[in-house]
Amino acid sequence: MKVAIFPPNSMILADMIVRSGHEPLVVQKQMQKKVTSPDLDAPPFNMTENDPIDGLKYAAIEVPSGVRGRMSLFGPIIEEAEAAIIMYEAPYGFGCVGCARSSELTVFSLRRKDIPVLELDYPTSRDDTIEMVHKINTFLDMLKDKESDSDD
Amino acid sequence: MSEKDKDIDSEFCHIPMGDGTYRDSDQKDKITRMIILGPGCSVSSKELLNFLHMLELPINIRLTCYGANLNGYPDLVMEAVEKARELDPNHIFIKFRGFPPGDPRRCRAKRGGAREGFHQIEAEYKLLPDVSVALENPRHVDLNPPKKVELDEFIDIVNEYDKNKK
Repeated sequence: MKVAIFPPNSMILADMIVRSGHEPLVVQKQMQKKVTSPDLDAPPFNMTENDPIDGLKYAAIEVPSGVRGRMSLFGPIIEEAEAAIIMYEAPYGFGCVGCARSSELTVFSLRRKDIPVLELDYPTSRDDTIEMVHKINTFLDMLKDKESDSDD
Repeated sequence: MSEKDKDIDSEFCHIPMGDGTYRDSDQKDKITRMIILGPGCSVSSKELLNFLHMLELPINIRLTCYGANLNGYPDLVMEAVEKARELDPNHIFIKFRGFPPGDPRRCRAKRGGAREGFHQIEAEYKLLPDVSVALENPRHVDLNPPKKVELDEFIDIVNEYDKNKK
């Protein structure tokens, strides 16, 4: 099952999804498509003129082009997601206003989809971290059961 | 653009470097994975590198301070990743990476300073000891949030507490 994660570049979340036999939808895969294709015009600026246009699917024309450009990266993740794990207040998810609004829009779009979503807070203590890992594993096992049920 | 240039574009990845130069890359069908050794891992990055070399797979391996970067065709990279993880499953973590190793647009040798993704690894590295403990002791937990206490029940509890206090 394809599982979207938030923050979309989290190593721990992606690694645990791979361990449990699912496929993580991470932003690095989207970046890879961009940076290894000949479409990019002027690196290291990673945005092309088509990106804000692609982002129009998720945000209105009044929304700044930076947010729409970022949504063109997160968009395929939202589209393909069959389940999602969202971690709030992750320190490395912090960024400028464009990043913050794109993050809010991504989380909103994932929550609005009719898919199983696990919502967690970024752990601040040892016990919280262990609890978080157990919750993620339980959620992923539940997805696996659901998948095998639907196959039957 | 001539027909020949078009063929080159479709066959290789013709990446402009931003300074007027172009780099022909063979990265089109290749993937990159980072192997990150968590704290308390039973192998060092040098041992990991030797192990990966001994696999004799045609992939590009780059030794780093946190582990290794692997670049190559998907099936070969995934084979190496799975075998490397078996060395110490609870302390070895895998991260995806978009840019190939040594890419001049991101490599710190060209840009100076840490690559952007390194700060994120640094932040998550602090959680890895506890994640390893949890992976060693797997347990299923209840995902439903605890139910809220009814108002009447809460009033009873407060009253009982007050009565006991007096």
